[in-house]
Amino acid sequence: MSLHTAQHTDTAAVTSAATTARHWLIMAAAAIIALVALYAVFMDNGTAIAATGDYLHEFSHDGRHLFGAPCH
Amino acid sequence: MSEPVLPLLGRGLAAGGAAGLAAGLFSLLLAEPLMDRAIRLEEARSAADEHTHGAAATAVQHHEELFSRSTQHFGLVVTAVVAGLALGVLFALAYALVHRRTGLGERPWPRALAFGAAAFVAVSLLPGLRYPANPPGVGDSGTVASRQALWLAAVVIGILGMVLARQVYVRLADRSLPVRQVAVAVTGVATLAVLFALPGNPDEVPVAATLLWDFRMLSLASHAVLWAVFAGVFGALGLRAATRSVPAAEPVAA
Repeated sequence: MSLHTAQHTDTAAVTSAATTARHWLIMAAAAIIALVALYAVFMDNGTAIAATGDYLHEFSHDGRHLFGAPCH
Repeated sequence: MSEPVLPLLGRGLAAGGAAGLAAGLFSLLLAEPLMDRAIRLEEARSAADEHTHGAAATAVQHHEELFSRSTQHFGLVVTAVVAGLALGVLFALAYALVHRRTGLGERPWPRALAFGAAAFVAVSLLPGLRYPANPPGVGDSGTVASRQALWLAAVVIGILGMVLARQVYVRLADRSLPVRQVAVAVTGVATLAVLFALPGNPDEVPVAATLLWDFRMLSLASHAVLWAVFAGVFGALGLRAATRSVPAAEPVAA
């Protein structure tokens, strides 16, 4: 009886730990994607993301000025 | 954290997309005419410069026409939507972190509004007071890296100041309300003081004062539109989820 309960609790604890870990992973991944997107529209000056040249910067130019992000 | 964060992220994305679109269209209508005017003035200025100094190399090469102005108008809306989506995700994550102890589904409407107002102050208003938005034609490309560092620092200080203010308010739970409110106000003033200890924007602003003022007001207004729409949609989606989950627990009546 007590053994069974202990096992049950263990499994539950392991499952909840795994769920918690998954939650944190999802959150970290979401945060990274969001920050990369913000970097692309507000911070890129055609150097860090070299392949974009100045295109990304110029395309988001008006948005940068409007939101107060530093621009050339 | 045991409650699922995915629904919250979905809510953040939906609200962020709607908010970005609203802010983008708002500024397309109201701010773009100002930006076009600023760019025309800038071009006139650099043409005059060329004329008087005869040095074409010093002309501001603001617009090498990578994109036409109308494409950049469209780019403004796209930029606002992308920024809205990304901010929505970060908002949902911060919301989950702050409210993880009391349950994520609790009081979704007032919490969304309060959290949205806090986000506006931390991310938009405080950094915007220190480094107000400038219309096109003001920035010098030589200083953009240092200006970006300062602006980022201002955003981080704004967020830290808000977190600190909340901590102060929560930690002083056993004090009287006036004491807590004064403590929060002092935290706010201290945050502003730190912001204004940062070096100022190194660029000169060769733009008419009226145009500059109008542009800055519109910039702040579009931030306000962004966060107001965001908080409203985020809160409404939270309310809907909360009312739906109650009947779902009961047997479905045919």
